Amino acid sequence: MTSMRALLRYQAALLARSQRWLPPFILYAAFLAVGVQSGQPVLDSLGYAAAALLPVAAWLVRICVSNEPPAARSCVSAAVGPGRAHLAALLVALAAAAALGTAAIVVVTLISDPVGADHQARVPRLPAGAAGLLAALACALLGTAVGALTAWPVLRSTGRAVPAMLLAALLSVVVTGSPAQAAVSGLVTGSRSGTVPMPVLPLAAAALLTAAATAAACALTSRRST
Amino acid sequence: MQRDLRLDNVGRRYGLRGPWVLRGIHLTVPPGALIRIEGPNGTGKSTLLRLLARIDAPSEGRVSGAPRTAYVPERFPTALPFTALGYLTHLGTVHGLSRPAATRAALEWLDRFGAAAYARTPMAQLSKGSSQKVAVAQALLADPELLVLDEAWTGLDADARAELERAVAERTAAGTAVVFVDHDPRRLAGARDATYTVHDGGLNRRTEQTASPHNGPHTTVVVQGRSGATLPAEALRIATGADETAPGTHRLTVPASHSDVVLRALLTTRPPWHVVSVSRETPVPFEAEAESRR
Repeated sequence: MTSMRALLRYQAALLARSQRWLPPFILYAAFLAVGVQSGQPVLDSLGYAAAALLPVAAWLVRICVSNEPPAARSCVSAAVGPGRAHLAALLVALAAAAALGTAAIVVVTLISDPVGADHQARVPRLPAGAAGLLAALACALLGTAVGALTAWPVLRSTGRAVPAMLLAALLSVVVTGSPAQAAVSGLVTGSRSGTVPMPVLPLAAAALLTAAATAAACALTSRRST
Repeated sequence: MQRDLRLDNVGRRYGLRGPWVLRGIHLTVPPGALIRIEGPNGTGKSTLLRLLARIDAPSEGRVSGAPRTAYVPERFPTALPFTALGYLTHLGTVHGLSRPAATRAALEWLDRFGAAAYARTPMAQLSKGSSQKVAVAQALLADPELLVLDEAWTGLDADARAELERAVAERTAAGTAVVFVDHDPRRLAGARDATYTVHDGGLNRRTEQTASPHNGPHTTVVVQGRSGATLPAEALRIATGADETAPGTHRLTVPASHSDVVLRALLTTRPPWHVVSVSRETPVPFEAEAESRR
């Protein structure tokens, strides 16, 4: 729909011009610089890059949701409905996280050694990169869900929202049963056995969870005050 | 699509157990209506406008109808990383215009409000008055079906205030419903279809004496037509006074904000009327009253 495209372009311009995207991008780059070095087994490094994307995606959601002053948000909400206005902000955050993750996965795939964790078994680069991309997307999606559920309109006070976001992001990466954890640990186990897993199921689960979280957050927008 | 906006037994409160801000509100806003909402500060006028603009959902009751809506908030932020023109172009496309049409409309409205010089100024550098002009332009860009103005006149200079009144007159003549809150009781006086007062969370319709000459500045239009010809219905609807001074010659008294709309109706009807004279009359008692209020 044309108005959705216009909304996405508006939200993307807000994010790009606000420069508030810089800190999460820099943090992610620092994460990777510390944890990923060239010559390391490819699947291990991809798993690390994917997992680190989750809190970054949640942070980007927080930025996109709070980027617009409330009065400006009201103008847009009157035109397209508050739910759609919020949806556009969440989608732009997800797209930014996905773009960042894709770039990271490409770089990590190229600089890592195409071997398993034992540095013996061959792990083909291209399938490994594809698996890493799926895992990164799963993490970007779940991070978006975490961000959506720990920002306005679900949680309004910053004092509670930021710790909640950090805790939820951490749990999403480490707790068994989380699609992000499944995708990342799949890569790590694959590295040990020298096989490339395709985390399609975790990606689908993450997509479902994120769709539900997004719908809930958008439905709340007209019920909460700013 | 249903263009009437209706509130049925609507109530709104913040939080699950908060006190009711508004309750038991019934209101229908038909196309072309000009409605003023008044009441003391903190009584829920802004809350009512947000419900009408469908920015907020009611806690109880039902809001129906989905007109294309534009909203002007009470205070407009300048903390946006765009130029005035850039912001308005984005908002124009959000309102459904194509990009070139949005840019064109943005430039036209900035010009009408005397802010064309600020088109390429970053929003962050705009004065309060100029950013309010951007807020108003944003709402008028795409010819909305419902225009909700929350103190939109506040902060505008005198020329821009008059221009906004004329823009409202144009829009209502074109079928846009306009609901507004303004602290000036004379705002669009004589042209309003209804005035409601928010009181104790409820809404009361106020009866007003529309024909009173004390109701703000008026313009007198004298036109000539075939003797026995009837004036266009739109002109008669807007006029607060009309009399036939000679066969075929009519004198109309219209709210100053609506003179352009009346003239357009008179000149575009078939056959058109001949405009003999247009003069601005400012009733003396009103001026004296305004002076004494200052």
